[in-house]
Amino acid sequence: MTLRAGQLEVLWSRLVAAADEQAAALVRTSFTPIVRDSGDLSAAVFDHRGWMIAQAVTGTPGHINSLAASMHHFLERFPDCRPGDVLITNEPWLSSGQLNDFTVVTPVFVGEKLVGYVGSTCHAIDIGGRGLSADAREVYEEGIRVPPTKLYDGGAPNEELFRLIEANVRMSKLVLGDLHAQVVGNEVGAARVTEIVEEFGLGDLTELSDEVTARSERRMRQAIGELPDGVYRSSVDLDGIDEPVHVECAITIDGTDLTVDYAGSSSQSSYGINVVLNYTAAYTTYALKCVLAPDVPHNEGTFRPLRITAPEGSILNARFPAAVAGRHVIGQFLPFAVMDALSQVAPHATMAQGSGNVWLTTIRGATDEGEFVTVFFASGGTGARPERDGLSATSFPSGIATTPVEVLESSSPVVIEEKALRPDSGGRGRHRGGLGQRIRMSVRSDRPWVVSCLGDRLAHPAPGTAGGEPGAAGGFFVSGVGQTDPKLSTEVAAGGHIVLDLPGGGGFGPPEERSPELVERDLVDGRTTK
Amino acid sequence: MSEVNGGGGWRISADIGGTFTDLLIVDPAGRCVGVAKVLTTPEEPAEGLERGIQELLRNQPDAVVDNVVHGTTLVTNALIERRGSRTALLTTEGFRDVLEIGRELRYDLYDLDIELPDPLVPRRWRYEVPERVLADGSVRTPLDEEAVRRLVPVLEEEGIESVAVSLLHAYRWPNHERRVAEILQEMRPELDVTTSADVLPQIGEFARTSATVANAYTRPLARKYLSDLEDRIRRRLPKARLDLIASTGRVAPAATAAKVPIRLVESGPAGGVLAAANAAESVGIRHALAFDMGGTTAKVCYVTDGEPRLTDSFEVARVKRFIKGSGLPIQVPSIELVEIGAGGGSIAWLDDLGLLRVGPRSAGSDPGPACYGLGGTLPTVTDADLVLGYLSADSFLGGEMTLDVDAARRALDTLSAGLGVDGPEEVARAVRGIVDEQMAAAARMHAIEQGLDPSIYALVATGGAGPVHACSIARILHVGKVISPARAGVASAHGFLGAPYGFDVARSAPSPLEELDWNEAQALLDELEEEARTQAGGMTGSRRIEADLRFRGQGAAVTVTMPQIGGDEDPKQVLATALEAEYRRRYGRVPEGAEPELLTWRLSFSAQPPEVEPAPPGRPTTPSTRPVWFDELGGFTEVPVVGRSEAAGTGPMIVEERESTFVVPPNAKVELAEHSVLVVTL
Repeated sequence: MTLRAGQLEVLWSRLVAAADEQAAALVRTSFTPIVRDSGDLSAAVFDHRGWMIAQAVTGTPGHINSLAASMHHFLERFPDCRPGDVLITNEPWLSSGQLNDFTVVTPVFVGEKLVGYVGSTCHAIDIGGRGLSADAREVYEEGIRVPPTKLYDGGAPNEELFRLIEANVRMSKLVLGDLHAQVVGNEVGAARVTEIVEEFGLGDLTELSDEVTARSERRMRQAIGELPDGVYRSSVDLDGIDEPVHVECAITIDGTDLTVDYAGSSSQSSYGINVVLNYTAAYTTYALKCVLAPDVPHNEGTFRPLRITAPEGSILNARFPAAVAGRHVIGQFLPFAVMDALSQVAPHATMAQGSGNVWLTTIRGATDEGEFVTVFFASGGTGARPERDGLSATSFPSGIATTPVEVLESSSPVVIEEKALRPDSGGRGRHRGGLGQRIRMSVRSDRPWVVSCLGDRLAHPAPGTAGGEPGAAGGFFVSGVGQTDPKLSTEVAAGGHIVLDLPGGGGFGPPEERSPELVERDLVDGRTTK
Repeated sequence: MSEVNGGGGWRISADIGGTFTDLLIVDPAGRCVGVAKVLTTPEEPAEGLERGIQELLRNQPDAVVDNVVHGTTLVTNALIERRGSRTALLTTEGFRDVLEIGRELRYDLYDLDIELPDPLVPRRWRYEVPERVLADGSVRTPLDEEAVRRLVPVLEEEGIESVAVSLLHAYRWPNHERRVAEILQEMRPELDVTTSADVLPQIGEFARTSATVANAYTRPLARKYLSDLEDRIRRRLPKARLDLIASTGRVAPAATAAKVPIRLVESGPAGGVLAAANAAESVGIRHALAFDMGGTTAKVCYVTDGEPRLTDSFEVARVKRFIKGSGLPIQVPSIELVEIGAGGGSIAWLDDLGLLRVGPRSAGSDPGPACYGLGGTLPTVTDADLVLGYLSADSFLGGEMTLDVDAARRALDTLSAGLGVDGPEEVARAVRGIVDEQMAAAARMHAIEQGLDPSIYALVATGGAGPVHACSIARILHVGKVISPARAGVASAHGFLGAPYGFDVARSAPSPLEELDWNEAQALLDELEEEARTQAGGMTGSRRIEADLRFRGQGAAVTVTMPQIGGDEDPKQVLATALEAEYRRRYGRVPEGAEPELLTWRLSFSAQPPEVEPAPPGRPTTPSTRPVWFDELGGFTEVPVVGRSEAAGTGPMIVEERESTFVVPPNAKVELAEHSVLVVTL
């Protein structure tokens, strides 16, 4: 295949568009708010070797290469797909580390010839088991597990599998509806890929794939090569459950290869906050890309120079059958470890640590009208940057939007009594950390209710960088009494309330170097009180 | 009986843009009899407009004008340049930071250094009022009126000119907001007060508050501008009434615009879309893809069944251009446009992967593309179009500006080595291929997001660069027809004249469909109609009712048009069926057993649109030929260059006019329809 000038660009952008359109079709049809509002899904195009050649830009770093990793497992098990086949799994160790994420893959044909695959990973609204909490002790308690299987076989639905899933999950109609949306989304992507191959007379995707991955790999290697060789270390300490979690990170740069190793990190937890290696790799890769080459598209080539390892049995490479539903509580702190380590050689592109994972709060209870479950997300402050303050009450590293208070109150008996920035919670520094927020809530019910909140940094506030001070620690109060372990379910007496104090971000640079105008402005605006 | 704008007299439209103010005059039969293009006077835009009116009247001294329809970027610019009034925000106690916390979302996942837009009201001027209304409209904490009174001297001391009041669940129970406004105005009548229920009583506190604040921030400015403009118009046209074009493409009296200026944010682009829809309609086409391409951006809008798509998730003043989520959300109804960072001035460059990219950086008009000879040296889309022969060096802007072909070639040639090609023509081909691909991709993505099929639309090309690129983009989108109206350069001003009086209102009333009280709903809809009719100037007209519905558990709603209800039909069932039908249309399936839920009622009130003919062609061109590059023909071919009235037959062909050049590719059939509208079948 000889490409004329400008043709590679057109073909490449069509590939990315195929993935983007596939994702858009899926988002449009999904029943799960976190998929629609926060883009907790991914979609990608693969060549016939299973190399990922394009991925849609969506809201979650959690699927960055886990979708690509699962593709190879599918290929191993189903080397000879035929038209009309659709493959599925939610096996945490083979895909993205949580049962709620279904990965669905569809082969793409041009005539009789298999030219590649399209796939998507999408968060299901329910998967049975204990729901999205850290309460489980083994993955068996967390819901139904589907090993790599055919969801459709030559166009015929696998009725047994559909019935099995239906029987094992809450809100089964919506869950099956979303699975169907994934199948339809894949069809949109597959049709576009076929069209590209036919319109440009490519025959197959091989040469295009070679060119795309080679260029991406070259660019990634160039960015790595610009950093001096060496081993750069960092660590992050977190609350965990029952016992603190330590993350130890060593980044080795050797020419144009980069290895991130998490040896020395805590052992796996007996609660559901364990991370599988795919998810560890996803958040690690995310941070590497932000620092090294944010504009390089995701594909097989981009990841080739990167190696991510963690000892088996550690919290970042948990051994089956560890419980994993709350993996994000730990996984979303990995970018801080990566950026801290790289700050020694790439100070321009790093930032102080922030509040970290998005706080997922689940409230269960009953009113006279029946039982209810309400889930909502909230974020604290991000770390200050070399040139700017941190962002207040903003999700980082994930991209999770909050639900408007009015919408939340219209669809549940929950009442939010206060939702405001926490003054003085941003770490002081030349640039200030973003402020955390305080959320006070109650329930319109005369019965007790149960709350769990997947929050952290109550005992381990976000440290500052380069002389900046730490942000304020988080807090969790039940009817005025401070709690140390918000992650496990707690009962709240009737008429009680809870307060979430989300942590602030760390500061950057010595506080004495902050410009007097900014100090004054923070005071006048009540972001600081002293 | 419906009333038509202006009651059938002479009418003038005026579109104030960044560089030029365009004016058109139509006679009582709706025929365009004059066009004026005058320089915009940024300091006092009304002055340029007045000059334009004088120019039109010089050629039509006997015209008795009874209506001036005006579109302006004043409100948008005030928001972008932060030139509004000193504004305070009053919120429910505990929610002072609603404006700043927003959606808690970064608009770019990979840029660590992003900035979020600064709220229009700094934290120091955000005050809390003790009160609380719950989701069902019941009052949990009554309004503390004393606390509001105590705020008045504070506002005075801070020099506040305008106040936004946005309280929780005010879409359900606006009385607290209204009472706050009353108290403020009793104590300080000169204070400008906007309540969120006045702007758009829709669920979602952040988006509603953001729109309310933006309205308060721009209202004093808009009021002053409009009253000055009315004075000037009265001086020149004693019988004429001033109307403004809203972002929805409907017309409202100046008094309404002065109250809710935020409704004007997209008035210019709305005019362009209306003109496109109008031209398509004149050749019997009801599904149009309006495509406008200028110097720095391109805009697309799908017009279905003659109606442009509306949205209320519009954003203004984006921190990062073209990136969704980086601006201030303005939750008011407006025509749904996708803006793409691709125009004639977009600069071509090589990225870190060695790939050719076009835009979003633009050479603008200063220094402009290299071929303008104004000092620009970077290669742009216009340079590529010139080198390939699509544009001509001698007849650009009717020959007023000679383009420098050598400068264009030199600029493009700087990329030859990086691309591994020989000479500027190959670079130009690549630039053009990529920019067309980008625009088509954005149009297709938008269609997919909305569940539309682009291939059933006809592409209508406007803007300076639109007609040059229209046919290539149509081919990528598998669109079979391209329409080119005359005078694409004054499309917006022309579109204003065909816009009907009307207003769009909405109110959230969340409820499971099962529990909907239809009598209550009807009372609410009648109230909405009355409000819309009043805002539209008290005209007679018709209403269209839509409902935002969703299945319980879903976050996003779909908007469905409320069908006519027969005598013995259950309205709830009718709505449920409409939701299911819309679902099936968009997604091909309906979730089994899901419970439908009503979120928001929407009502569009619209009078009869006035009859306006499409704009007549400009001066004719002398037919000639020139070499033009077409891939299909393997390179340069001598192609006929004709004026609009000579355009017919089969491409390749270049139709040249003063403001634009329409490129017709080989084998395309060209047909000259009524009113000089060209219809090309690909």
